[in-house]
Amino acid sequence: MEDEDDCPELVPISAQPGPPAQQIPVTIITGYLGAGKTTLLNFILTEQHNKRIAVILNEFGEGSALEKSLAVSQAGELYEEWLELRNGCLCCSVKDNGLKAIENLMEKKGKFDYILLETTGLADPGAVASMFWVDAELGSDVYLDGIVTVIDAKYGLQQLNEDKANGLVNEAARQIALADLTIINKTDLVNKEELNQVRDTVRSINGLVKIVETQRARVDLSEVLDLHSFDSMDGAKLAEKLELAKPMRPHLDKSILTVTFEVAGELSEDALNAFIQDLLWEKKFCNKDGEPMTVIRLKGVVSFVGKAHQVMVQGVHELYEFNETPQLWEENLHVNRLVFIGRNLDKDVLQDHFVSTVVLKAETP
Amino acid sequence: MSHPWPGYRYTGKLRPHYPLTPMRPVPGDIQRPDYADHPRGMSESEQFLKGTSQIKILCPEDIEGMRVVCKLAREVLDIAAMMVKPGVTTEEIDHAVHLACVARNCYPSPLNYYNFPKSCCTSINEVICHGIPDRRPLQDGDILNVDITVYHNGFHGDLNETFFVGEVEEGAKKLVQTTYECLMQAIDSVKPGVRYRELGNIIQKHAQANGFSVVRSYCGHGIHRLFHTAPNVPHYAKNKAVGVMKPGHVFTIEPMICEGGWQDETWPDGWTAVTRDGKWSAQFEHTLLVTEMGCEILTRRLEENGRAHFLNQM
Repeated sequence: MEDEDDCPELVPISAQPGPPAQQIPVTIITGYLGAGKTTLLNFILTEQHNKRIAVILNEFGEGSALEKSLAVSQAGELYEEWLELRNGCLCCSVKDNGLKAIENLMEKKGKFDYILLETTGLADPGAVASMFWVDAELGSDVYLDGIVTVIDAKYGLQQLNEDKANGLVNEAARQIALADLTIINKTDLVNKEELNQVRDTVRSINGLVKIVETQRARVDLSEVLDLHSFDSMDGAKLAEKLELAKPMRPHLDKSILTVTFEVAGELSEDALNAFIQDLLWEKKFCNKDGEPMTVIRLKGVVSFVGKAHQVMVQGVHELYEFNETPQLWEENLHVNRLVFIGRNLDKDVLQDHFVSTVVLKAETP
Repeated sequence: MSHPWPGYRYTGKLRPHYPLTPMRPVPGDIQRPDYADHPRGMSESEQFLKGTSQIKILCPEDIEGMRVVCKLAREVLDIAAMMVKPGVTTEEIDHAVHLACVARNCYPSPLNYYNFPKSCCTSINEVICHGIPDRRPLQDGDILNVDITVYHNGFHGDLNETFFVGEVEEGAKKLVQTTYECLMQAIDSVKPGVRYRELGNIIQKHAQANGFSVVRSYCGHGIHRLFHTAPNVPHYAKNKAVGVMKPGHVFTIEPMICEGGWQDETWPDGWTAVTRDGKWSAQFEHTLLVTEMGCEILTRRLEENGRAHFLNQM
């Protein structure tokens, strides 16, 4: 009955799980309308003319579209492709529809070298990031490379200062909080003092972000692409960055700011999990005014009892993970460094709790 | 049989058997979920909460509602189980399921959910999940999963079991047995304070110990007034699922375990998920309520000591 349609015996594919041969980086580009995102995108496309780059505009909004257009630049030509967002298995699917659509397209039409995703000004880049920050076990073709925020040197401060109705986060501030790279654009439109103010404000929100200043979004592409902000490849670089993260006095009220601390010693992995979950999921920690702390971004390098390698900690909103880095502690002092970016953060409360519940073997420097 | 997708390379021996019978109507006096009447079958209530990870803690009245609907879903599955034998088509099973739902004043949840055309999912052999009931008669040696979800009084209840059709090969029996054990071991660990992401570790450990793999693309989910909602419950190890179990949480665990690789692909119908290597896959599912001391299996079988149907045929 089925025989007439039987296809010839197929060669079985190897059933090895694990990351595929070459993963494609996804860079999320966010920022207010007019800051220069599109200019940046166009600049990247023209500069990288021998790479095959996909550009997706306005992320994947409300689930109503069945198809979404994507622009592909190759050899200086720009052409359109279509992502099929089959609504079918939206329900219990682990991978986001948008992610699957990109993977399907690449399967049919070949891989890209880079994927750039521009989000609308009001979107939460953290939510978009989590679409692409998939578990390594899923063996996806893509990986989240980093979040780039473009801010207008002239109007940026005003946007950051905008008063939001009770409890709502200022989107501009959140975009900076989540950024791995912030591009302060249109520096030709402001004087030195104004530029310093913008830079200081960005720094006070996000103590870790790389800041680059540009005119007309012209930037050295090695600063924007291949950031590897979410993988453990660059353990040493991260540790260095954390050491340099200098928390500053907040420039804005009811603001997002960066809190860091370091504690020498070895940690219990279970206890750190519980600490982070209490902080990110249960929102159990409050500042001295009784307001619950909300963490938007979390980064750190820690030492677990029994593990010779340095472990990287990464978090975006409620998603977090630990990743062993190739770096060994060796004879160095086991300094655990954690950086939190968010609202109502209280360094003392966090550090006290951390020291009393998470540190198993304290070390004195 | 028809050839609906010329050029599509099937991964295994199974083929769709079209045409499908027209969509079955549900009497107007039965309460309908929001997506039942949406032209694309979209659920606005689910979309509204998309991306959130807050898990609802059900109040006593909601819990009672869930107990009732899960019991009804179990009755419908037991009826489907009775029909499984060589020669019966999956559409015939679907028809019986549809009538059983209506008789119990339930709306069959899959019907029109994102335009799904039938009242239950029937997944045979290499189909991982979301198989669409059609004209194909069951064959001796097949394994068949029937996935039932019903909607009653504003709540959804969801469960599935894999059944043997006639005489099944030893390898397939082992697959089905192991999959069931994966589910039951995961359920054994459910109690307040356990992280949702831990379930994947338990399931994958047992599957791998038996030489099988765990499907990664589909996961368990929160269920109550919404068909699919937070939490997300992946079945594979080392996942980043958000959330810790608390009394009053209700969710499903539904591992899909494969003889060969875990990679899946979807037929051009947009629903049927099959293994890429064409080897077989089995699944079991329960809806669970987290209680103070552990959990209550809301969709448990009330006779035969709660044993799954396939155990009668081992």
